[in-house]
Amino acid sequence: MLYNHQDLKVLKDEIEFVDTALIPFASADMNGSARDNASDMEMIQMVTIQLEKQFKGRLFITPAMMTVEGMTEVLETYIEQLEAYGFKKVIILTHLDKSFDSAHSIVVNRIPLEDMDAEMKMSLINDEVKNVMKQVITIWNHRN
Amino acid sequence: MSQKVTRRQFLNYSLMGVGSFMAAGIILPMGRFALDPLFQAEAEGSMITTSVRAEEITEEPVKVDFSFEQQDAWYTSEVTDFAWVYRDGEEIIALSPVCKHLGCTVTWAGDDANPNRFFCPCHNGLYEKSGQNVPGTPPRGPLDQFEVGVSDGYITIGERFANEIV
Repeated sequence: MLYNHQDLKVLKDEIEFVDTALIPFASADMNGSARDNASDMEMIQMVTIQLEKQFKGRLFITPAMMTVEGMTEVLETYIEQLEAYGFKKVIILTHLDKSFDSAHSIVVNRIPLEDMDAEMKMSLINDEVKNVMKQVITIWNHRN
Repeated sequence: MSQKVTRRQFLNYSLMGVGSFMAAGIILPMGRFALDPLFQAEAEGSMITTSVRAEEITEEPVKVDFSFEQQDAWYTSEVTDFAWVYRDGEEIIALSPVCKHLGCTVTWAGDDANPNRFFCPCHNGLYEKSGQNVPGTPPRGPLDQFEVGVSDGYITIGERFANEIV
């Protein structure tokens, strides 16, 4: 499910089945590492799209949250909101090394995608998607 | 012997000749526009050719990818989807991988306890090989089917429709 009108309408009735919210989280710092941040963001987007296809019925993908200078106040408030809405699990999909008390983090590998041709890119992204899928399933299976 | 053409006749003939060209110039294009829809070739049947050969298909369902152009408002993108394709006797069956519960993607034999069923990882939904949903699991109906064909030995995938084999 995505954060759009149509899906939110379904979500309201099916919150008992769609029990997991996933927040793509990346840095938008405009400094020396801006280019790396942009690649990270792009990759997170690609992984999220695939993930949504696979787990449409149980995973709610929120709009991406950005951080500047590592600030996480907005994100923390958002996690609380999602829990209040009825999500039993909140997952944060990110490249950043940050952990949160009430949410599971899945850390994505950094892959230098900019130098690759499209096919290689796709296959690496797909591997990463499988990796993330496994972690999501682990979260579903183990911590109820 | 030369027939005499009067000035009146000559003017009549030339006016009628020029007039009919002018009329034809207007009426013919209009007629062609009006009839045009009848000559329009049927949109090249919406079957999409995949890169999988028909002889590779066995009784074990396999993933067959196909891509098509999808238009979202102003934005056209190439989308890759897939179908679970297997052989049932002489017939080739293609099932949609979209779970009828809430739209996750189902896998063949994804659950170790059910090696001959489709499995949905989201809420443990199960389907028989025919696409029939297993009672007692969340899905409310059988998996959709795709129109399927063979063109030059390759599998082609067409429209999706409600399951007809269960």
